[in-house]
Amino acid sequence: MAYSEKVLDHFANPRNVGSLDRGDQRVGTGMVGAPECGDVMKLQIQVNEETGVIEDAKFKTFGCGSAIASSSLATEWVKGKTVDEALEIRNVDIVNELSLPPVKIHCSVLAEDAIKAAIEDYRKKRSH
Amino acid sequence: MDAPDYFQFFGLEARLSIDLPDLENRFYRLSRQLHPDRHAQAAPSERERSLEASAILNDAYRTLRDPVARAEYLLKQQGFEQSKQAPAELLDEVFDLNLALEELRGGDVSVRSRLEAARERFLALLQETDAGLEGLFGAYDRSPAPAALGEIRAALNRRKYISNLVQQVESELNP
Repeated sequence: MAYSEKVLDHFANPRNVGSLDRGDQRVGTGMVGAPECGDVMKLQIQVNEETGVIEDAKFKTFGCGSAIASSSLATEWVKGKTVDEALEIRNVDIVNELSLPPVKIHCSVLAEDAIKAAIEDYRKKRSH
Repeated sequence: MDAPDYFQFFGLEARLSIDLPDLENRFYRLSRQLHPDRHAQAAPSERERSLEASAILNDAYRTLRDPVARAEYLLKQQGFEQSKQAPAELLDEVFDLNLALEELRGGDVSVRSRLEAARERFLALLQETDAGLEGLFGAYDRSPAPAALGEIRAALNRRKYISNLVQQVESELNP
C-alpha cells in the first residue's frame, strides 16, 4: 500500500516529537492505544492558563507510518488553538489532510482520541 | 458434519471449571470408540464419519482442557466477542515497554535489566489475572448469568493483552 506524500513527510520529519513534564499543572497527557495493531500514542499539550490557548504540544507514537503522521499532524493543529477549538478537531479532517486509505482510518481515530484524552487530563488537573 | 457442542460431545454440562482427570478419561474412552482401526471393516461412509468424529474429538479436547480456550469457547457461544479496547490502566506500561525496546534496538544494552523487570511484572500480572479468572469461573458455574460472562470477557481481554506483552519482551530478550 502506498502512503500519501503528506504521510511520508510527517513520517520522515515528524513534528513535535518528545515529551512535556507530566507533573506540570499546565500539561495534559493523553495516552491511547489499539490492541489489534499494538499501537500506542502519547500526546501532550501545554496550555496557557489565562488564555486557554495551547502553547505547546508533543507526541510520541509507537505504530505504523499513518499513526505517526496522524499524531504529528494533530500536534501541529492543536498548537495555537484554544482547548475548546482543539476539541473540534475530527478524525475525518485528519483522514482528508493525509489522504488516509480506509484501512488506516483507525489511526486518525486514535489521534482524535489522544487529543481528547490530553484535554480531559488537563481539565481534571485544573479542577483539583 | 457441523461441529457439535464440545461440552455435549463429552457428555458434560457447559461449565467453566472442569474436572481435568475426568475429562481425560472421557477423552480416552471416546478415542477408543472412534478409532479408525475399530471401523476398518465398516462401510466407507461409516469409516469417514468415525474419522471426522475423531478430528472433532481432538479439537474439543484441546479446547476444553485449557481454561482460557475453554472460556473463550463458551463466551463465543454466548455471543461475547473479543474486545478491541486496550485496557486503559496498562497503556503507560505498554508505552514504557516500547520505549525500552526502541532503546535496546538502538544498541543501548543497559535497558536489558529494565526489560527483565518488565517481564517479571507482566508475569506477575498474568498470575494475578489467572487467579481472578478462577474465582470468576466458579462464580459463573454456581449461577450462570450474562453479567458474570461480561466480567470474564474483560478479564480475558486483559490476559490476552498481557500475554502479548510477555511474548514481545521475551522475543526481544531471547531472539
